[in-house]
Amino acid sequence: MTDVPVTRIRNFSIIAHIDHGKSTLADRLLQETGTVNSREMKEQFLDNMDLERERGITIKLQAARMNYTAKDGQNYVLNLIDTPGHVDFSYEVSRSLAACEGALLVVDASQGVEAQTLANVYLALENDLEIIPVLNKIDLPGAEPERVRQEIEEVVGLDCSTAILASAKEGIGVPEILESIVQLVPPPPDTVVRPLRALIFDSYYDAYRGVVVYFRVMDGRVKKGDKVRLMASGKEYEIDELGVLSPTQVQVDELHAGEVGYIAASIKAVEDARVGDTITMANKPATEALPGYIEAKPMVFCGMFPTDADQFPDLREALEKLKLNDAALNYEPETSSAMGFGFRCGFLGLLHMEIVQERLEREYDLDLIITAPSVVYKVTTIKGETIFIDNPSKLPDPQHREKIEEPYVQVDIITPETYVGTLMELSQSRRGVFKDMKYLTPGRTTLIYELPLAEVVTDFFDQMKSRSRGYASMEYQIIGYRENALVKLDIMINGDPVDPLATIVHRDKAYGVGRALTEKLKELIPRHQFKIPIQAAIGSKVIASEHIPAIRKDVLAKCYGGDISRKKKLLQKQAKGKKRMKAIGTVDVPQEAFMAVLKLTQE
Amino acid sequence: MEFAIPSSAYIHIPFCRRRCFYCDFPISVVGDHLNGSNSGTIAHYIDVLCQEICLTHSFGEPLKTVFFGGGTPSLLSAEQLSRVLDVLDRQFGILQDAEISMEVDPGTFDLNQIRSYRSAGVDRVSLGVQSFQPELLSSCGRTHTVENIFESVELIHQAGLQNFSLDLISGLPHQTISQWQHSLETAIALQPRHLSTYDLTIEPTTPFGKQLHPGAKPLPTDETTAEMYRMAQQVLSSAGYEHYEISNYAQPGYQCRHNRVYWENRSFYGFGMGATSYVQGDRFSRPRKTREYYQWVNGWLETGNEEKEAKKTSEISTSEVLLDRLMVGLRLAEGLSLSSLRQEFGRQKIEQVWKCLQPYQRAGWVDILSSDRQSMIINSDLPLEGQMKLTDPEGFLFSNVVLVKLFETFDEDDSARSH
Repeated sequence: MTDVPVTRIRNFSIIAHIDHGKSTLADRLLQETGTVNSREMKEQFLDNMDLERERGITIKLQAARMNYTAKDGQNYVLNLIDTPGHVDFSYEVSRSLAACEGALLVVDASQGVEAQTLANVYLALENDLEIIPVLNKIDLPGAEPERVRQEIEEVVGLDCSTAILASAKEGIGVPEILESIVQLVPPPPDTVVRPLRALIFDSYYDAYRGVVVYFRVMDGRVKKGDKVRLMASGKEYEIDELGVLSPTQVQVDELHAGEVGYIAASIKAVEDARVGDTITMANKPATEALPGYIEAKPMVFCGMFPTDADQFPDLREALEKLKLNDAALNYEPETSSAMGFGFRCGFLGLLHMEIVQERLEREYDLDLIITAPSVVYKVTTIKGETIFIDNPSKLPDPQHREKIEEPYVQVDIITPETYVGTLMELSQSRRGVFKDMKYLTPGRTTLIYELPLAEVVTDFFDQMKSRSRGYASMEYQIIGYRENALVKLDIMINGDPVDPLATIVHRDKAYGVGRALTEKLKELIPRHQFKIPIQAAIGSKVIASEHIPAIRKDVLAKCYGGDISRKKKLLQKQAKGKKRMKAIGTVDVPQEAFMAVLKLTQE
Repeated sequence: MEFAIPSSAYIHIPFCRRRCFYCDFPISVVGDHLNGSNSGTIAHYIDVLCQEICLTHSFGEPLKTVFFGGGTPSLLSAEQLSRVLDVLDRQFGILQDAEISMEVDPGTFDLNQIRSYRSAGVDRVSLGVQSFQPELLSSCGRTHTVENIFESVELIHQAGLQNFSLDLISGLPHQTISQWQHSLETAIALQPRHLSTYDLTIEPTTPFGKQLHPGAKPLPTDETTAEMYRMAQQVLSSAGYEHYEISNYAQPGYQCRHNRVYWENRSFYGFGMGATSYVQGDRFSRPRKTREYYQWVNGWLETGNEEKEAKKTSEISTSEVLLDRLMVGLRLAEGLSLSSLRQEFGRQKIEQVWKCLQPYQRAGWVDILSSDRQSMIINSDLPLEGQMKLTDPEGFLFSNVVLVKLFETFDEDDSARSH
């Protein structure tokens, strides 16, 4: 790696909606600049985790340094800093953008601007980034570059006369994109002489080297062997390894202002080197940390219990390991009479929760019961204390509480006009308060609602997608707590209250939810050899009840022509299903039942 | 592991005039009338079937039982049937007193045909009656009428085939308890040696699977079909039929010897499209589509290699053999012999089995009987000798509950989950 003057560095990221072709474009840039040759090219190089590749989304961001000889004959270093593409990780996005001077705004020419993209564009504008619009997938028959160009101009207020027409898949427009990055994105300010300040935009845990920290040097320079201090955590480390990402890690001796790289310094867990923290010199620290550091706060909580009580120590160990690599994951032991020992875990959002759950089951081979997600309620007791409740079963009894407040979010939905009606209906039914409606371009509308977060973390997103046939997109941000008439809904199975099924609902919706929930549980819990009553209650008052009739027969009538293998598979499947159920008293309850509250068909 | 040499053969004849609404067997529909084109189809199938038999290694033991199942084997001509039997005889030998069974459908044969089947060697037929209510027959897609049933039984009698069986289905859509009782009584009046009563299973890929939802109207409730099951047990037992398997009844001495091979987990050859075989510990299912089956036999013919895609690469574990044994053996009223189970699988494994079964023994679903049919259980302990069995009818009705428990404990497939 040759030393490069600050004037010939360009740091940029790519802003795009899921499926609009960000990863493919990143791949092409790496190929075009010869950073990765075609032989080494795995599809979608930047998405490292299997999970990401399967879901086609980026969860953990990555970075890549490319050498590029521009038309002016000069050699440039282009650093691509990737951003995660989901609302749960908007803080990480903001830090990545803060490490750049420019951004490619990639919009699918057959689709148009989506809510997520818009939110990130605004973040980029706040960070003073130069934005280069790229209309992607112009090779598709449905591409309407003119319409989308107009839409970007009207919605984002960005001049699109020079927007690049591209097809990352076909390699169209890729050279033009590289050339515009050099010409339009400003070089970083030359602040090499100032004391070191480097912005952490990502980090991950490596079993051999400790945490590997990705950063952008904002001021000064940093060398291997330097003793550095992390300004937020206050901890000091000696740099064992310093390097750049091209896109695999390549060691270098020194990096200076404007450059992007990584360090390994025997840091024990990612929470010691959080995203947004500032690296400075231990002996010659900067006077002020870089702005914008926030400690990510979990918004959504759920209980995680091993199906098999013997797996509790394994679950603890797995969470400890995941925590090394996930500063936003919170957990503490939880005991429930129904479920035994487990953990109450906090997440940034629903996707984050699903990812952690999936990794625990896939990478650590644990069978888990996950309870329905809950938000954090703010309860004022009659003694005037304020307590935060992240577990519905811990809600103080009505006679001990003065009021309950719940978190609200502002939700921005972008949708084709046709679906405005049904999406307003959806928002209304989720206790939404209408704030605004804007016509973006003919046929596309923004709806703005204020909604309780609790209503959003259920199936709001899925409902929005299905009601709009996948066309609407959304974005939300927390706007604070509001008082509401909330009650705790208890569920009893076979006469015993089941803590993990307890839920906090608005009083006006309690009857509907109670009825729908008992019906759903009746559907999900298999028949047993005895009749099982299922009840929903507020305090001691039962508001809905159902019962699962006793099983009358369970027999395979025929074992035809000696073909036992098919019947055997059936029994194996049943046995496997039963093993994954949680025994609540004498009733076997399947995993899905604990998420039943998310699957209700509410009016 | 040493395996017993097979001395039974199942032959699948996949042709049917139409597909019944409940059927998910590997069949090939030929229409209501035989003509040049579909008889050619059947003739070709018989050629390939005979090729398969000729390619199959014989272990030297002659066949004690042969079973023609379908499909509708009675769509074969007597010549076609004798040809298959000849080929079997040449390849393996067929014992003089072998049981040769054949499934036949009402309305598909005349006196000549059934007589020639008999002279070809068939000594047992099983008639697919299903129901004695015209509206139930047509609503489940059967091609025959109630009159056809009586005519066919008459022909069977005339041909001198006194060993015949009738098949009935309970739990059909719209079927009532009294209709079921009527079917049972009508069947008894026809004096079959053997009766099979099958509780309808709704298979997802069938027309029934697409129209009906288990447990919902117009299907009778589980309560009703359980009642039908108990009724069959009472009515048939008092008419002198022994309830010897979950769905099968016979007069003394007339149990189906071929089917017992399956329930005793013994080995058997299988021939024809979709047929399964169990030879040398290897369970193999043939391709379930005509063309794929032809290709498979052809490939074998050309390369000399029997390509068994489903062939297991590793030796099958003892737990798996034990589960197979229990799964089929508990279907029999007599159950399984404790002493032979112990001998084959060891004391410890059988104690483990008993640990699973104890709660069901207390519930009255499982019992251990001595040779004089007395319960041998004292204090829930496992006796040394005796037959471990499900009770009739309650244990049979809940046999899956018991089996699932055993699978939970012994299925290694599941506990050794791959990452």
